[in-house]
Amino acid sequence: MENRFGFKDMVLATLIIVLIVVVLLGMVQLDRQWKALQSIGNKSDDQTRLLASIERTLNEGITVSNGNGLNGSQPTTQGTTSRFPKGDPFADFKEAEAHPDFARGDWLIDNATAKVKNITYPIADDLYSQWIQARVTEGLIYRDPMTLEYRPQLATDWKVSDDGMVYTFKLRKGVLFSDGVPVTADDVVFSFEYLMNPKVNCPRLRAYLENIKSVEKKGEDQVVFTMAKPYFESLDLCGTLSIIPKHIFTKYSEEDVNNNPGLLIGTGPYRMANPTGWQPGQKIELFRNDLYWGRLPTFDRCIFLEVEEEAAQETMFGNGELDIFATQPSQYERLMKDPKTTQHANHFAYDSPMNGYQYIAWNEKLKGEPTLFTSAKVRRAMTMIIDRDRICKDVYLGYAKPTSGPFAMASPQADPKIKPWPFDINAAKALLAEEGFTSRDNSGVLKDATGRELRFKLTYPSGIATYERVVLFLKDSFAKAGVIMELDPADWPLLQKKLKERDFQAITLGWGGAIESDLYQEFDSSQMQDQGDDFMSYVNPKLDQVVEKARLTVDVKKRMDLWHQAHAILHEDQPYTFLFSRMSLRLMDKRIENVKPSRIGLNYVYVYSMPCPWYVPKTMQKYKSQ
Amino acid sequence: MASYILRRVLLMFPTLIGVTLVVFFVMAWTPGGIGASLISNEQGMRPAERKAMEAYYRKRYGLNDHYYVQYLRWLNSVSPIGFKTSGQGFPEAWRFGLKPPDLGEAFATHRRVSEMLKDAIPITLLLECLSLPLIYGIAISTGIAAARARGKLVDVGLGFTLIGLFSLPSIWIGVLMIGFLCNDSYVHLFPSNGLHDMRSDAMTFLPNLSGGHFTRGWMLDMAWHLCLPVICLSYSGFAFLSRLQRGALLESLGQDYVRTARAKGLAERVVVFRHAFRNSLMPLITVSANILPGLIGGSIIVETIFGIQGMGKLTIDAVNSRDREVLMAVTLIASILQLFGNLISDLTYAVADPRVSYVD
Repeated sequence: MENRFGFKDMVLATLIIVLIVVVLLGMVQLDRQWKALQSIGNKSDDQTRLLASIERTLNEGITVSNGNGLNGSQPTTQGTTSRFPKGDPFADFKEAEAHPDFARGDWLIDNATAKVKNITYPIADDLYSQWIQARVTEGLIYRDPMTLEYRPQLATDWKVSDDGMVYTFKLRKGVLFSDGVPVTADDVVFSFEYLMNPKVNCPRLRAYLENIKSVEKKGEDQVVFTMAKPYFESLDLCGTLSIIPKHIFTKYSEEDVNNNPGLLIGTGPYRMANPTGWQPGQKIELFRNDLYWGRLPTFDRCIFLEVEEEAAQETMFGNGELDIFATQPSQYERLMKDPKTTQHANHFAYDSPMNGYQYIAWNEKLKGEPTLFTSAKVRRAMTMIIDRDRICKDVYLGYAKPTSGPFAMASPQADPKIKPWPFDINAAKALLAEEGFTSRDNSGVLKDATGRELRFKLTYPSGIATYERVVLFLKDSFAKAGVIMELDPADWPLLQKKLKERDFQAITLGWGGAIESDLYQEFDSSQMQDQGDDFMSYVNPKLDQVVEKARLTVDVKKRMDLWHQAHAILHEDQPYTFLFSRMSLRLMDKRIENVKPSRIGLNYVYVYSMPCPWYVPKTMQKYKSQ
Repeated sequence: MASYILRRVLLMFPTLIGVTLVVFFVMAWTPGGIGASLISNEQGMRPAERKAMEAYYRKRYGLNDHYYVQYLRWLNSVSPIGFKTSGQGFPEAWRFGLKPPDLGEAFATHRRVSEMLKDAIPITLLLECLSLPLIYGIAISTGIAAARARGKLVDVGLGFTLIGLFSLPSIWIGVLMIGFLCNDSYVHLFPSNGLHDMRSDAMTFLPNLSGGHFTRGWMLDMAWHLCLPVICLSYSGFAFLSRLQRGALLESLGQDYVRTARAKGLAERVVVFRHAFRNSLMPLITVSANILPGLIGGSIIVETIFGIQGMGKLTIDAVNSRDREVLMAVTLIASILQLFGNLISDLTYAVADPRVSYVD
């Protein structure tokens, strides 16, 4: 075999070289076009911004322009109070604008700790898609996180009928969807009717809105919501319904919307670059909506990374690639002591009613038979055996607090006079003795007259480290009091099955919180049936009555009194052992200013789409949009 | 030959049905059953909402039917020949005939499974296409080097190093790499997450140097992001293939024809590469049957650590949430590729070794 480089080889080699050169030249040419396109895009962005600021100026009917509508600090408008009969929606934001170092610009890098697979409103309803949707879509009103009062958003004013059945909203004029089409009363009606269409894959939202009987347009700028029955949350239900554009959604069939992972468009302060075609795996990047009707938000972009690995999150936060970092207690303690981290990060530990609480539910009826937990005394004894302060201190390093009931301790729903049951083994033993359980031999285990040991199995979600530590602590505590607790870990599907079939003795889980919680779901005796959430078969007619009445009471003061009564009943009865409520722990990049606690966490609230009052002073800004 | 291939291909169908049947029923009989993900993990849902949601999804995805009905329905919808069901567009009059196979809709994301695969496969393919040549290249060359220096320091050293690498779990190495190589506190050589920089959309494709300011460009940015995941995917694969290659080459080197070749004075390079090496490839060909399914199988660990949304991630998510359609689609594709991989490796025997023949 001869290996000579012949004529044929030369031709081949030349061809390959020519091909490579052509491809390279093609790439260079494409790059030049790319740059040209970007500069055209930037110019058109600037023009949109200019037009939007002119439009806004016209709408507000006053001169606010100081030559630079976007980047300069805008003087606060005059005579605002008269134009905002229900409060200024931008009160906090204007306060931030008044800071001497206030500036717009920079990006905010947040993290969704799971891959986001769908952001389409109303199809996707997991936590992270809700975060994203809340930046893009808006409702008619929103709840101010500082005062918990309702403030106007897309509505300028609203009226509630005396019986709490009819809600009339007056729409704001001159609001545009991020594609430039104005919002009309038809869009509001459509937003409701679209969700109620059974072909649309949003059963959860649909069930939530079932209470609304109809939404009607009255004139060009009014919408009337009529309820099916009175309910204390009706205003919230009607007012926070996200408004979606009719002209976009009617372009697609319901099935197209169901299967589209990235259809998200609204009137909010941010918008998707491509509002109809985001795909999972692409960056989640929200751009400032220059057509927004209100004060322009501070950050040019809000970016959600999707880093799942905790070690990777910590590294990235340390590198400054991430601005907000939600941590576990041990990590928080460690990072707070780390000089490198404290140099560039602020830390926040705060309570929020949204954090909910952990509990142990005592099953009172197993396979049709009453259990030993049917007695309120036994349940209270169980509560008093557990040293909840120790759990908070040892497992959560002090970033959790024992609770006395289902309401957040600081919420007006909770009766401040009720304190958690104290840790007192002797009192607990006395209670158990009243029910016939005493120490009858040398084993130390409490037994009743027939020799039956006091033992139970605690079901808990497997694979979560903190749960496991809490459960082991509980086992020890019960053993010290002479009660045998067996462990019964279950993965999520199995746990669901056990709850559905009420096939457990005791179970420890957590409930998420709300600004105002409704107890009907967990504690009303009707919820024993049909897979409701009273899975421990707890019945107290008096509680049913109080809760029912509270739900129908629109007057806040009277309702709070009723919730206090419910709180007291639950405290006496202990259908759950209310364990503790955890605090949120956040580390935040130091360049972000004006981070403050609010009534529901920090003043950057994920559930409402008002522009966040955080900002980065000009000298600290890190990312620049071209 | 042709009849052999035909026979093998026909045999694939019962095998595929068997595999999917087992996977389907294992999933169906685990506690919680199919579609555990339909009951969302969120606790805050009201019972009425949850019930309405569950009822809706059960109806939408046909979960109320018996398992065998569900399986047959799935089989019908993925098969290119089958009965007409609602939502499949073939001519009105036909009840039975050719139709486009349909992989269905994922429970957890409500997207078409085919589209999810279309997103995930290229990413995994890219990672594997970079790491496989690396693995095979390094394994074969180290195997040859070790065989030629049998018993010497090189052989022992290579064996020791490769087995050492093999024993390091990639979940640990991945985290260490991020912690030390992507960290401002140590060395920040590589990016820690994802396949692109946050700002890559605004980058040009090629690296460029304008006004003394270097920007790396989209292509280089991606290559930079791929470094650690590819290293993490490949380092543990060297040992096995390298030992295999070493053993096979040593066996060939002991053969009479090698002695003859040496005796007639051929250069050692020619002896090893032209005579012995070719004959030592048989075991490697057998093993390479796994390349094909491995190409799109993806790696759960590496994809999770480095935040890459590939097939491994897709599969593990589907398993965790018992997402029927996704899991079945992944199973189907993996088994088809595995079966074809086996067939191809059997056929390449005949090419590599004239003694093997499939003529009846």
